[in-house]
Amino acid sequence: MPERDLLLDVRGLKIEFGTGAQGLRVVDDLSFNVRDGETVALVGESGCGKSVTALALAKLIPQPPGRFAGGEVLFGGQNVLSMGEKELRRLRGADISYVFQEPGQSLNPVFRIGWQLREALQIHRPDQATTEEMVRLLKQVGLPDPEQKLRAYPHELSGGMQQRVMIAMALACRPRLLVADEPTTALDVTIQLQILELLKDLQRQLGMAVILITHNLGLVADCAHRVNVMYAGRIVEAGPTEEVLGHPRHPYTRGLLEAVPKLEGSAGHLKGIDGHVPNPARMPSGCKFHPRCPLCAEICREREPADETVREDHIVRCHFWQKGGDS
Amino acid sequence: MSVVPLLEVDALKVYYGASFRQVRAVDGVSFRLAKGQCMGLVGESGCGKSTLGRAILRLEPIHAGSIRFNGADIVSFKGVDLKAFRRKAQMVFQDPYGSLNPRMSIGRAIEEVLDVHKIGPRETRRTRVSELLEAVGLEAGYAGRYPHEFSGGQRQRIGIARALAVEPELIVADEPVSALDVSVQVQILNLLKDLQQKMNLTYLFVAHDLAVVRYICSDVVVMYLGRIMEAGPSDELYRQPAHPYTVALLSAVPDVNRALKARKQPQDSSQVRGDVPSISGSIPGCPFHPRCPRAEARCRQEIPALRIVGDGSRLSACHFAEEVWEKWAVNSDQ
Repeated sequence: MPERDLLLDVRGLKIEFGTGAQGLRVVDDLSFNVRDGETVALVGESGCGKSVTALALAKLIPQPPGRFAGGEVLFGGQNVLSMGEKELRRLRGADISYVFQEPGQSLNPVFRIGWQLREALQIHRPDQATTEEMVRLLKQVGLPDPEQKLRAYPHELSGGMQQRVMIAMALACRPRLLVADEPTTALDVTIQLQILELLKDLQRQLGMAVILITHNLGLVADCAHRVNVMYAGRIVEAGPTEEVLGHPRHPYTRGLLEAVPKLEGSAGHLKGIDGHVPNPARMPSGCKFHPRCPLCAEICREREPADETVREDHIVRCHFWQKGGDS
Repeated sequence: MSVVPLLEVDALKVYYGASFRQVRAVDGVSFRLAKGQCMGLVGESGCGKSTLGRAILRLEPIHAGSIRFNGADIVSFKGVDLKAFRRKAQMVFQDPYGSLNPRMSIGRAIEEVLDVHKIGPRETRRTRVSELLEAVGLEAGYAGRYPHEFSGGQRQRIGIARALAVEPELIVADEPVSALDVSVQVQILNLLKDLQQKMNLTYLFVAHDLAVVRYICSDVVVMYLGRIMEAGPSDELYRQPAHPYTVALLSAVPDVNRALKARKQPQDSSQVRGDVPSISGSIPGCPFHPRCPRAEARCRQEIPALRIVGDGSRLSACHFAEEVWEKWAVNSDQ
C-alpha cells in the first residue's frame, strides 16, 4: 500500500475511571495511528479496553467518572482531547462517525427511519436534509425500497437492515474516519458477510478510513490492512495483518489464534489461554500478561516490556518475542 | 450402526399461532441420535434450531410428530413420566447470566436440582454439590458464592454443573459458548468434550458458529426455516457440502487461514443475498430458493425431499444436491 497521509495519531493515551487514589487505569500508554483510506483493526478479549479507546477518539467518554490522564489524540493534526464542546460537535458525525454492535439499541424505537436520518443531516448538512438525499443514502447501503423504508419504524426492519440504516446515518456526513465497534457481532454470518462487503465497497468509493473493533480474528484477516492486538489496556503487538496473524510474535496473539476453532485442516485439540483478563483494580506487576503466559519468567514479573521492532512496522511488547519460533 | 438410538425424532412439527397466521418454527424434522454421539444443529437465527432443541426437552408445544427417547414416545408424557424424563435429559443455556438466580448461592442453586428430583439422602447432597463443582473445574469452596462473583466462563461452568446434577443421558446445549470470549470458549468446549467421554453423555449442540460445531460435533444438521437442508458427518460435510445453503454458510464464516490465503490469491465469494424471510410467510417450493444462486424454475414449484447423496452417510434437500456435491469434490482435489 502506498504511503498515505496520517489521519489519526494516538500517542501515549492514558484513560482512568474513578477519582483520586481509586482511579483505575483502563488504557495505558496506548499509541497507534490510522492513515487516510486505511482499515485498522483493534482486537482483544472483552475488558481489554477496545471500546473505551474507540470512544476516546471523539472524546465521548463522560468525565467524570472518566479521566484522560495523559497522551493525545491527534485528528488531522489537531488534539481532540483539548477541543471544546463546539469543536467536538463539528468533529463528531462529520469527521469521525460510529457504528455500534446493537443496531436495535442505537436507533430510537419511536421515530421512523426517515426522521432519524433527517436529524443527522440537519445537524451537519442542513441544506441537504432532503428526501432525495435520504433515499440516495439508503440506496448506497443497499436497502431495497428506500422510499418505503423511510416510513418504517426500526422494529419493522431485520437486524441486518437496521445495521445498514446505522451505516447510512454514519455516512450521511461523509466522515473521514468510521469507527465500527463490533458492527457485525449481533448478526448472522451470511448477513455479516454482506455488511462487511458493503463497508469495503463504501470505503473504496468514499476513501474513508475505518477502525474495526472486534474480537473475531477471522474478520481482521478478511478486512484489515493493519492490526493492533490489545491486552489489559495496552497494545501488545501491532503491524500489517499478514505479518501479525501470519507470523505472530506475542504469546497472547498466538494464544488467541490457537483458541479459534478452524473450518479447514485437522480439527485437533485446541488449547486456549488459561485464566482471564485482569481486573484493572488488581493489575499484575511487570508484563500484564505474565500470569497467563506460557513463556513467563522472572523478568516478566518484574519489568514491563517495551516496544520492540520485529521488522519494519511489526512491533511487539514481550521480553521473549524471539522465543517460540515462527508459527 | 445398528444400536437402538437414544433419541429418535420423527416428522416433528412445532407451530405457533392460529391457522391464518401460523408460524411453522419446526416443520417436519426427522433425525436420530445414538448414545454417546454429539450432533450439531446449525443455521441462521430464526431457522428453528433452538425451538427444535427445546421441543425435544418438551419445553415447547408439539403440533405433530414423535420424539422417542430410549424407545419411549415422550410426546405423550405427563406428570411423573415427564419428571422422570427430565432427569435423563437436561439443558445448558446460552446466557449464564440470565439462567442463574442472582439471589441464590451457586451451591444452593445446584442443590435445588437434587432436592427437586430427590436425588440421594439429604445429608450427602452438600458433598455431591462439591463433587459437581470440581467436575466442571471450579473449587468446591465456591459453593457459598453468588452468581455476580463469577466471570462468564465460570457461570457457564455452573450451568453445566447444574445440568449434570441429575446424571442425565442427553444434554441439549443451546449456544453454550456464543456469549464467551474465544479463549474462554475453548475452555468450555474442552470441558464439554471431557465430560462427554467420562460420563458417556450424548449432546445435541445448537450453535450458529460452524467452526465451533466442527470442533465438538461428529455429526451436523443444517436447518433453514424449520426444515433440514443437509445432514451428515461433520468433517465430510464441511469438506464437501451438498446443499447450496451449506455452501453459503461455510463461505460466510470468517476464517483466519482462509482469509490470509485469499489475500495472496483473491477469489470471489459465493455470497447469499437477502435476509432470512419470516417463517410465517409461506414460500412455494424450496424454502431457500429466493436466496439461492442455483435456483431454477423447478425450485420455485417443487419442495425438494431430504434424500441420500453420495456414499450414503449424507442427506440433502436440494434438487441439485449431486451437482453441488461433485463440484466440491473437484475443488477439494486441487
